[in-house]
Amino acid sequence: MGRYLLRRLGQMIVVLLGATLILFACLFVIPGDPVGSLAGSERSRDPAVVEQLHKRYGLDKPLIVQYGTYVNKLVHGDMGEDYTQRRPVAEILGPKLVNTSKLAIAAIVFDAVIGAGVGALAALKRYSLWDTVVTLITTILVGFPTFVIGMLMLNLFAVQLKWVPVIGDPSDPVQVVLPAITLAIIDAALVARLMRGTMLEVLRADYVKTAIAKGVPRRQVLLKHVMRNSVIPVVTYIGISFGSLLGGAIITETIFNWDGIGMAMSTAIQQQNNPIVVGVATWGVAIFVLLNLVVDLLYAMLDPRIRLS
Amino acid sequence: MRLTKAMRWTAVAATTVLAVAACSNGGSSGGGGKPAASNNAPAKDGGTFRLGIVEPTAIDPYNVQESEGTLVAQNLFTGLTSVDVNGKISNALAESRTPNDDCSQWTFKIKGGTTFSNGEAVDAAAFIRGWTRAAAKDAASDVAYHLNEIDGFKALQDGTATTFKGLAAPDATTLVVNLAIKDCEFDLRTFHTVFSPVPPEAGAATNKAYNDQPIGNGPFKMEGPWQHNSKITLVRNDSYGLTKAHLDRVEISILNSANADQLEYQGFQAGQFDWARMPTEQLPVAKATYGPKNEWYDWDANGMNYLMPVTFNGPLKSKEARQAISYAIDRDAIVSGVFKGFRHKATTLVPSAFKDAFQDGVCASCVKQDKDKAKQLAAQAGLTPGTKLYFGYNTGGGHDAWVQAVAQQLKDVLGLDVQIDGIPFKELLKKEKTPTSTGMYRAAWGADYPTPGNFLSPLLATASINEDPATHTVQGDNAGRYSNPAFDALLQKATATKDLAERTRIYQQAEKMAIGDDQALIPLFTRSQQRVANTEKWANLTYDFNENPTLANVSQK
Repeated sequence: MGRYLLRRLGQMIVVLLGATLILFACLFVIPGDPVGSLAGSERSRDPAVVEQLHKRYGLDKPLIVQYGTYVNKLVHGDMGEDYTQRRPVAEILGPKLVNTSKLAIAAIVFDAVIGAGVGALAALKRYSLWDTVVTLITTILVGFPTFVIGMLMLNLFAVQLKWVPVIGDPSDPVQVVLPAITLAIIDAALVARLMRGTMLEVLRADYVKTAIAKGVPRRQVLLKHVMRNSVIPVVTYIGISFGSLLGGAIITETIFNWDGIGMAMSTAIQQQNNPIVVGVATWGVAIFVLLNLVVDLLYAMLDPRIRLS
Repeated sequence: MRLTKAMRWTAVAATTVLAVAACSNGGSSGGGGKPAASNNAPAKDGGTFRLGIVEPTAIDPYNVQESEGTLVAQNLFTGLTSVDVNGKISNALAESRTPNDDCSQWTFKIKGGTTFSNGEAVDAAAFIRGWTRAAAKDAASDVAYHLNEIDGFKALQDGTATTFKGLAAPDATTLVVNLAIKDCEFDLRTFHTVFSPVPPEAGAATNKAYNDQPIGNGPFKMEGPWQHNSKITLVRNDSYGLTKAHLDRVEISILNSANADQLEYQGFQAGQFDWARMPTEQLPVAKATYGPKNEWYDWDANGMNYLMPVTFNGPLKSKEARQAISYAIDRDAIVSGVFKGFRHKATTLVPSAFKDAFQDGVCASCVKQDKDKAKQLAAQAGLTPGTKLYFGYNTGGGHDAWVQAVAQQLKDVLGLDVQIDGIPFKELLKKEKTPTSTGMYRAAWGADYPTPGNFLSPLLATASINEDPATHTVQGDNAGRYSNPAFDALLQKATATKDLAERTRIYQQAEKMAIGDDQALIPLFTRSQQRVANTEKWANLTYDFNENPTLANVSQK
């Protein structure tokens, strides 16, 4: 177990280094000088200022030197300084990471509780009215784009009913509800369908039949045998989904003006604010790799037949 | 690429859903006029004004550059001069501004006894401190170039000096400015926020604490530090040296730049904002809803949209070719078809916001599409059917529809093989400046201070090409590389003319030469601005030269 963890963490460093190198190469072959003009404006920067900024950000050096400097700084916890406001990237991204995490956690809780709950109930009451309704609604929801749900909710609850402000404040826990539901609702539909499917399969499994025949109470059968075995694919799905949520939900954050890293990323790409782009992307890769590891560990816990080696 | 697509989808969604939602509001038809700019009700103090902006680059005057940063900085700082919505300058903290005979030296008398909000004096030294701080090398300021005429600017920029040689304060209320480049309209520049005074506490431009919470001498002061990407809160400065503001507070929410206009408008509809922009698609409905209530503003602002032909290279080298292009474009059709009348046809480079300098129709080829004239001029210039014409523009700026329309018109009228190239903004700006650039580019410009010279000089003067001797790329803003000694001479004559009316006439001649005769740029559309404003609650609420609400004058009804 310990050796397995160490090996996975070692692999993670290699993946991170590779990912940042590819990112670096991609960003710096994009034509256009990132500091050649003023932010979002047609105006050229004074050549003297451009030269000074090139020096300041090391843009006058070869790509590989820039990358070396970046990695060296990163190891020391310094993510550099952004090109427009000239503030430390860590300082800019810090509060955004907190906001994105709040949203991601709220969304994933909604996903897991509602999605898995609804799906399990549907499987238990197969072909009942409840099952039909769930199947119908989840089928429709899976086909819905996020932005439609987001815009509808914002218009209904903020513009028309005025229950919540249009311009939200991420520090107010009530205001996380709308964006979290927007973000989670489609995923929750998927989780419900997944849960229903696997659960139906498990319910037909021999060991469940055996347990029932043995006279094990129904409650125990469901909790110990059925549930535990049905959640494995759901855990995988939710784990991966959580990873991408933590990487920033651009559309939802944009609609609700939620100051998270998805929004930061989209703005930074438009402005060619490369330190921010690299920072967010590195975070995204790191969190994804880490969550994959967590999911693998959870497998072993849920299913003793899976050995980590 | 995927992101851009996602954003576009969001915009489409926003439009669709809002259009549906808006229908339920019951849109009544009817024109929206301008609300009366000033209603002379007795001003009542108090109230909180709320609006949304996008995250500014800076609010510390050393690097304030876009309209949003200017909104904050102009309410935190008061400089020597102020400018009204028609581009007319007047004294703010200056009591007089006097040039010497050849305009190489300016003397500003400053109102005595005013202070910064921390109690420190606003004297001539405070101005020198502010200007020196912005021009210093480590500031790497994007806007310090506005100070470039002052003697000693170069030495400060390259770090060989730490004091501004050209500035002197013989006494606390006198500021003497010696210019290395003579300019009879230098005083107009002082309207820009980079000319703000700062207190000793400001320190160098790299002082992060001051960058986020500048202490100024304006009608408002910061309530706390700038909460990046979240909000900026201003409160009235009760020790303000000029006419005090009426509002207690101004709450500025910072919105995501991708859909800020959408959020502003939704916020306004929900009663959360008192002033808002709107997405282009929403303008007709917004006008119908808020026009009859006198809550709708629509005006042609300080700015211009035009095509920048490459004049040193390629098919548009001759003025006849450029005129042919201009005559071939049906601006009226694009205005009504693409912009639904919310932008107007441009027939000048200097916009109508410059009331005295504006000369309607100076670009004769812009007034009306003339296919015959276009064909005739094209034949003269060798712009034969099938000629390849490069047309570069930036994607993501909402330009796609009209760019397509212009290209189609050029194809229909002149038979040109127009090669549209939509690329990211920074890439476009780099490409148009290379020595191999050709054809034409979409471009726009707005003035920093109210002189026609701020259009004509950076965009068209030979000095504004400023070619890099090593790479031969343009480093200035004259990327079309128009160069005409007679035009340059007129600009020089203008800045050497003290009489304002005479100077304006010379600028008009210059514009006639570069735009009317040489067609160095091809004006297309005005910079039109629309706002909805809560005039039910607020009196004296209108827009200023920088397209921002006049917060210092607003009062409760």
